[in-house]
Amino acid sequence: MVMGVMEIGLAHYLVLGAVLLVCGLVTILTKRNAIGILIGVELVLNAANINLVAFNRYSHGVSEGGGVALAGQVFAIFVIVLAAAEAAVALSIFLNFYNNFTSVDVEKAKELRG
Amino acid sequence: MSVVASVIFGSLALGASVVPPIVVLVLCIVAGVGTVMLLPGRKERSIRKIGGALLLVVFLVFVALLVRQEAMKGATQVYFWLFSGIAVMSAMRVISHEKPVYSALYFVLTVVATAGLFVLLWAEFVAAALILIYAGAILVTYVFVIMLAQQVERVGKVTVGAEYDRHSREPVLASAVGFVMMGLILFLIFDGSAATNLAGVKANVGVQGTTKQVGEYVFIRQTVSLEVAALVLTVAMIGAVIIARRQVPETRAVDPGRVAVQDDDPHNVPVYGTENPRAKAYPER
Repeated sequence: MVMGVMEIGLAHYLVLGAVLLVCGLVTILTKRNAIGILIGVELVLNAANINLVAFNRYSHGVSEGGGVALAGQVFAIFVIVLAAAEAAVALSIFLNFYNNFTSVDVEKAKELRG
Repeated sequence: MSVVASVIFGSLALGASVVPPIVVLVLCIVAGVGTVMLLPGRKERSIRKIGGALLLVVFLVFVALLVRQEAMKGATQVYFWLFSGIAVMSAMRVISHEKPVYSALYFVLTVVATAGLFVLLWAEFVAAALILIYAGAILVTYVFVIMLAQQVERVGKVTVGAEYDRHSREPVLASAVGFVMMGLILFLIFDGSAATNLAGVKANVGVQGTTKQVGEYVFIRQTVSLEVAALVLTVAMIGAVIIARRQVPETRAVDPGRVAVQDDDPHNVPVYGTENPRAKAYPER
């Protein structure tokens, strides 16, 4: 397994995706601000997007219909769509939470009821 | 984190074939300790500064090495190191910054650097969509909610952030979990005996994510997924509106013998940010 000397390969993008994933994970675990936790979730999704697009670039062959294989990029676009939807719903929940508790500290979220 | 990244990227740049797992393990422990030092908490500020300076110095050395190495090489590889460095550094600031507004801004910096990487990967449409949606729409929503739901406290004459922004939750445990996971993933990536040999993978030059190709792919092959995405967006929008709508409680019963006087004095209308948040709902009529 000899890397090309200066060639940027798939492994570089995978390492970057892993680093950003762990950044997002640590953000989720350490932030007490609910909005900070949501930013961490978005970082994790972003890392997944890097992996998807990189795999799309470095995957072999064409798709079965004969066209260009773009499944990875289209998957990344759908991930972006879901991230936007999730951000809208979660932020409105946080607004409601702030209206009730005067705080967005997740430690105070123990009193939520269905 | 940048320590690990720099050493691994550096050894990749020097042509090392496999990073030994024990080295990855040790580096992850060191970077975890540095992150613990950098996190906001009940520590002296000098410790945080030392931790930040440590990471910064390592990063600068790494950049200097790269610039020296890349001087005679192609330009796109320099761009990869540039964008990935920006992404990792700003992700570190997302973790370590006390103020949520700055965390959101650094997150958008990460997203912009990622968009640059997507351009390098021939995914132009995804890069443009990423910038439009994240920097244009999601950032505005985040900053809007942060401004609405922000608390400040006063210590003496200095205004500082809320208590839950200044103190991390479980810094040691969280860093340990994160870097153990990072060590595991990096071990799998650099494991020479893995099922897939990553070094042999070559770029597929046929893949070009121009708007035309992505559009044809989405609207011909992925029509059902597109419809589902539209449905999800609609449901999320309606749900967000319903959840964020304030429930105005039915206030005092109207005395039938008395004509209700509409109080239209603007100074009596409750306003956001006043002392009683429960009473800030505007009168419905």
